Amino acid sequence: MPNPADVVEAMLFASDVPLEAERIREVLDLENAAAARSLVEELIARYEAEPRGLAIVEVGGGYRMVTRPELAPWLVRLARARTKVRLSRPALETLAIIAYKQPVSRPELDAVRGVNSEAVLDNLMERRLVRIGGRKEAPGRPFLYETTREFLVAFGLRDLNDLPKVEGELVIPDLAAEAAATAEAHGQAETEQDPGPGGADLPPRG
Amino acid sequence: MSDSTDAVTPEAAAGELRLRVGAFEGPLDLLLHLCRTEEIDLAALPVRTITDQYLAHLEAMEFRDLETAGAYLVMAATLIYLKSKLLVPPDETDEQLDDEALLLKQELEERLREYARVKVQGTWLAQREAEQALIWGRSSSTLPTLEDVPLEDLSVHWLERSLKRLIEEQQRLRPRQIEPNPPSVLERMTEILTLLRDTWSLLFSSMAGGERRRSEVVVSLLAVLELCRQGKIRTQQTELFGDIVIERRTPDPEEGVALLGPSEDTPSAESS
Repeated sequence: MPNPADVVEAMLFASDVPLEAERIREVLDLENAAAARSLVEELIARYEAEPRGLAIVEVGGGYRMVTRPELAPWLVRLARARTKVRLSRPALETLAIIAYKQPVSRPELDAVRGVNSEAVLDNLMERRLVRIGGRKEAPGRPFLYETTREFLVAFGLRDLNDLPKVEGELVIPDLAAEAAATAEAHGQAETEQDPGPGGADLPPRG
Repeated sequence: MSDSTDAVTPEAAAGELRLRVGAFEGPLDLLLHLCRTEEIDLAALPVRTITDQYLAHLEAMEFRDLETAGAYLVMAATLIYLKSKLLVPPDETDEQLDDEALLLKQELEERLREYARVKVQGTWLAQREAEQALIWGRSSSTLPTLEDVPLEDLSVHWLERSLKRLIEEQQRLRPRQIEPNPPSVLERMTEILTLLRDTWSLLFSSMAGGERRRSEVVVSLLAVLELCRQGKIRTQQTELFGDIVIERRTPDPEEGVALLGPSEDTPSAESS
């Protein structure tokens, strides 16, 4: 019997979708998903102890073997012209609304953005970042949109809880840091759940 | 050199103006921009100032379609209505109507706050996207699929599952096949300029889109032509039907990208 962590490594290499702990448990006939998780942890520790070109990340409800970000320049050179197409600002904002409010209908989307979202939505659907999850029981029975697993993978999120909480701040984004600094100076900051340094709204995920 | 500066300045100014106006995503985006430049608290919207500025911007705008124009005009109407409420001194008998206007104002403020939140979230997503663009994972696997099950173990359930999977797969693929949605020329232009930041030249065939769809090639070609026209790139084709080589032209590629970049970065010379 080979080392189970080696099996997990091979599975991660061979799989093209994030591999769930449950799936690892099933294949290795383990007691529970926690045992599978600890095998992955073991593997991750091994990768960290002896740095190499690959890393194992938790994303989209499973584990995935990926290249290390600092090696990107060489991979870009390897792939010549292949880079990932980035989303436009309207697309990102529409995606944000769907991610936070899902399932959400197009009229609701349009209301938040103040403009028609049809074209942007089509684009997001084609990239499989968004899908139709059902219909809303409202006049016209509009489609309800939700994010996909591809969305989680594309943005490196374990699940939707990885999205940062942006709570009722009354300050405009660009002024946020400034306002926080002023508030701090005057000692009248509304105590929020976490007094982040410099008043940054969104800490890079922990 | 000295006379070229003279020639460039007015052109740059005109381009800047067009950029600023075209960069708004909608009425809320414009309002938010006004609030930002004026450092206005979204909880206490000064209706007079904001209405005047909004209308000033509206006059300078050119609309691509009626629907977009309509969205801006609805907002203008709301603002003008609110402003008219302010100009008329409140009257005892008029209380009912004032409540209405107040409600409308609160609703507008809430919408603006929500939109500001969406902007923050969008920025966060953009940052994540940029980080994730640096890592690669397996995109396809040669693992044998479920079809390879030994025949003797088959049951009706397998058949049912396979059929279901087939149908799901079809449904998943359908939007792609029926209405292919080519990327916009603008998107492709940005893409080309981004690529040219890392490298001096690239082949047309390498960026015409992996799927070789006719629309993709057309969009790419239009993007290349437009960039040529703008003087951002130079192209050459050494033989008939040969591959087109695209080269960066401006010594400062940042300038080119900024043209298509988000409006946050755009200068906002203020007109009050």
